[in-house]
Amino acid sequence: MKFSVRQLSGRTRLGLLALAPILLLFALIVLLPPDGVERAEWAQFIGRFHPLTVHFPIALILLVPLLELTGRIRRFPDSRVAVNFVLALATFSAIVAATLGWCLARSGGYSGSLVTQHMWGGVSVAALCWLCWMLRGRFPGQRWDFIYALGLVVAVGLVPWTGYRGGQLSLGKNHLSEFMPVGLRSLLGLSNREDNRSTSSMGGPGTFYGARVQPLFTSHCISCHGEDKHKANLRLVNYDALMRGSKQGPVIKPGDAKGSELFRRITLPPDHEDFMPKEGKRPLSADEVKLIELWITAGASGTQPADAIKGAPTNAAPVAAEVTFPELDVVAVEKIRAPLALAVAQLQKRFPDVLEYESRGSADLVVNVSLMGARFGDVDVATLEPINEKIVIGDFSGTGVTDRSAGSIAAMKRLRVLGLMHTKITDATLQALGGLDQLESLNVFGTDVTPAALGVVVRLPKLQHLYVGDTKIPANVPVSEALRGKLTF
Amino acid sequence: MVMSDSKIRDKCTTNNDLSNGECAGEMHTEEKVALLQAQTRRHFLRNLTAGVGTMFMGTLASQGAGPVKATELASDGTPRLDFTRDPSRPLAVLPPQFAARAKRIIYLHMAGAPSQLELFEYKPELTKLDGQDCPASFLAGKRFAFISGVPKLLGSQYPFHQAGTSGHWMSDRFPHLERHIDDLCIIKSMRTDQFNHAPAQLLVQTGNARLGYPSLGSWVIYGLGTENQNLPGFIVLISGGKSPDGGKQLWGSGFLPSVYQGVQCRSHGEPVLYLQNPQGVSRPLRRSMLDAIDEINQQTYAEFGNPETITRISQYEMAFRMQMDATDALDIHQEPAAVLTNYGSKPAESSFANNCLVARRLAERGVRFIQLYHWGWDSHGASANEALNFGFATRCRETDQPIAALLSDLKERGMLEDTLVVWGGEFGRTSMRENRNGQVMKFVGRDHNPGAFTIWMAGGGIKPGTAYGETDAMGYEIVKDPVDIRDLHATMLYALGFDHHRLTYSFQGLDQKVTSVKPARIVAEVLA
Repeated sequence: MKFSVRQLSGRTRLGLLALAPILLLFALIVLLPPDGVERAEWAQFIGRFHPLTVHFPIALILLVPLLELTGRIRRFPDSRVAVNFVLALATFSAIVAATLGWCLARSGGYSGSLVTQHMWGGVSVAALCWLCWMLRGRFPGQRWDFIYALGLVVAVGLVPWTGYRGGQLSLGKNHLSEFMPVGLRSLLGLSNREDNRSTSSMGGPGTFYGARVQPLFTSHCISCHGEDKHKANLRLVNYDALMRGSKQGPVIKPGDAKGSELFRRITLPPDHEDFMPKEGKRPLSADEVKLIELWITAGASGTQPADAIKGAPTNAAPVAAEVTFPELDVVAVEKIRAPLALAVAQLQKRFPDVLEYESRGSADLVVNVSLMGARFGDVDVATLEPINEKIVIGDFSGTGVTDRSAGSIAAMKRLRVLGLMHTKITDATLQALGGLDQLESLNVFGTDVTPAALGVVVRLPKLQHLYVGDTKIPANVPVSEALRGKLTF
Repeated sequence: MVMSDSKIRDKCTTNNDLSNGECAGEMHTEEKVALLQAQTRRHFLRNLTAGVGTMFMGTLASQGAGPVKATELASDGTPRLDFTRDPSRPLAVLPPQFAARAKRIIYLHMAGAPSQLELFEYKPELTKLDGQDCPASFLAGKRFAFISGVPKLLGSQYPFHQAGTSGHWMSDRFPHLERHIDDLCIIKSMRTDQFNHAPAQLLVQTGNARLGYPSLGSWVIYGLGTENQNLPGFIVLISGGKSPDGGKQLWGSGFLPSVYQGVQCRSHGEPVLYLQNPQGVSRPLRRSMLDAIDEINQQTYAEFGNPETITRISQYEMAFRMQMDATDALDIHQEPAAVLTNYGSKPAESSFANNCLVARRLAERGVRFIQLYHWGWDSHGASANEALNFGFATRCRETDQPIAALLSDLKERGMLEDTLVVWGGEFGRTSMRENRNGQVMKFVGRDHNPGAFTIWMAGGGIKPGTAYGETDAMGYEIVKDPVDIRDLHATMLYALGFDHHRLTYSFQGLDQKVTSVKPARIVAEVLA
């Protein structure tokens, strides 16, 4: 019998056309899975359209049962007529979305079970859509209708399952519960501690692992093997994650340091391809390697007490002191700055160049109004009131500030450094500062402060430096030996 | 296309104005007609792209102050710190990467390279061997500027003693500085790979021995901005009768926008040359002139987006503000007589003492980076002024008292807490006496030694009363804890609140940094 494509219906022809990319997608997921490697930028670029396009098939698939059900109501007699068309649209848009999704996953540095589940979910939805489209009304009989309905139900059920994982990929694992009100949270039986990573009892701070081993991973490894970036799907963030290992299996073999992949890699010659940490990053010192070796040999325990392993190199006496830097967490910083961000911005506008955060990672503030001179006075000190609690360094030197500001300055409870050089303040201001228990440095150079003020100052618990040159305090003022060492004339 | 309608564009300088009619409203009807006829599809398309650009710039400008944003990734995969600012305020203050110990630097560069063996390096063994032939191992594979043949070892020309509670050895040349010996951290194991003044100075000041790299001061004000918008954030003061060999590149901005270059000021006479208005030009007249120029420059910037145009505008504006503030800041006549005496400063002349006093005044006024150069330390022994027993002693006298006075002033004002003071040359001097052309020279001197030299640091973030590093018994080579120039830079940036890897600027496809590509180490041992 001669077969011709022309004999097939339009739907079948289109369906066969759609089957090819679906099968291709299955093949891609199996043969070229996402492996955490970032690839071509153009692929990432088009992949980024995945979240946009994916909402078309979602809406269309959910529309199908709606049309099927409303079609049974007399008021909407035409609903079911459109189902085939909608299914076709859903199938094709699902294929497009899944293709883009694969591009994103393959080239965007993703890996892990979450993305794999999401991909299988997505491509299954596309396949089920195709199946429903092909089956619907083609064969008579309740059995076929049932299969169609079943396929539809599974597809509809797969949509939120897959979508939830997509949300986790883009917004974080706990994206639905993160900002959930406490009441609802307890109603659902979720713990109030969002961070369930720390619930593990293994590797706590009192253990050898927590005190000695994890800090090494934290300083050397987690920039690549952390929560956010996890090359080879290895996360060296805590004991459990370490023992879970990488995509190639466990990296620690308890009791056998030489047989542990992690140990092998840190002890290779530094120019070896597999050597860790990778080039450019500081290798572990001999002592640090020794520490890990002893820990693995002793059984790689997560509960062993910190002093359990004899002969472990101590933290003291490093070969050369090393300065390390914590990575800035932009989101966290914005969060801690948020409550006062508006007040800070307004004050920055009002007093340009005098108010700045102490650092890029801090919500604490540095105020230096000394350059404004007499243009900054008591009235202006009062305007700093909303941010009082955040000021850690305040330099009011050379300004028009007087004793009238004593209360405002005393309210800056967290001041570490206070400059009042060349101002009109007197003992009255100093006597008001007794509550500044964080103050380390106080500068009253060139003021009319007298020895009477020293009584308050001597009680400031953290004070290290008191600059009293050019004041009414003579260099031979009788003070206690403890205070003498802090005075600078 | 641009030529054809240039006449109309003269009337109305940008095409945006043509289309929005602001300018057109003031024109005669026939001009409007001509204008409309001159509008082509090309104009439309051009304005279209300009519009997209404007929208982009608008989003940039709307970003608030105090950036924490660091989303862009650098080549090593870490997020790049964001140093972008409102283009009209290129020197706006930015917070450091982490809480800093120092907020400003005063760098006292002793140009010509002072001899460490006459100041801080006590080497009794060398004194014992004075006049003996230099061992061959000292000469093998070494290059010298002038030494030839077999030179003689040369013991220190001045007596040493222990000073302060820290017990550091120092010679009798710095009697005033001795007061502050317990404030200093002396690094005796500095080394460089340059043995000629100009490249060595460039290396110290820019991190690179070749021309075209931004100086340390430029990096610092690029990273932190400056608090006083009426003064340059990076000011250079020169004394000793000669500019340093490295020339103005020593305070150049290299590939950074030129708004970050150092500005040379003078402690005597007009503080900045050509800053004052010429006769017959009043301040209001100057203002209106600048307004017109600024407007034209703004239009140019809107059209081409070249950051150097913004530099030009902000430099003009700063010069205008400086006409008042710089004159005041650099006028040491205002200081009481007692202060002038402390520094040994005579306002009528140009001297290192005056520059030290100015440095303190600038520090008080929020200038971020103050760079002093004092020439005359190149003690080869070729002439009296270049001799360890003459010119060198004079240089010590010229600098000792002012540096001590500067440290005292900073200390009593509480400013040594957040000011990092650095003293040093560009390399060290040999343990051998120079024998130019193989001859015994009339004066005593030493040749260049890049292998070891001494610097000291004091103030913000530095451990006071310490010494770091060691040289051999002859003071010729480092035997312990060498510190490269890039290590020094990394350490200085650390005091200012930066990881030197992260103070970067993208240029020629590389995230450029002052410590360049070789690994640099923050000398944690000298940090408080």
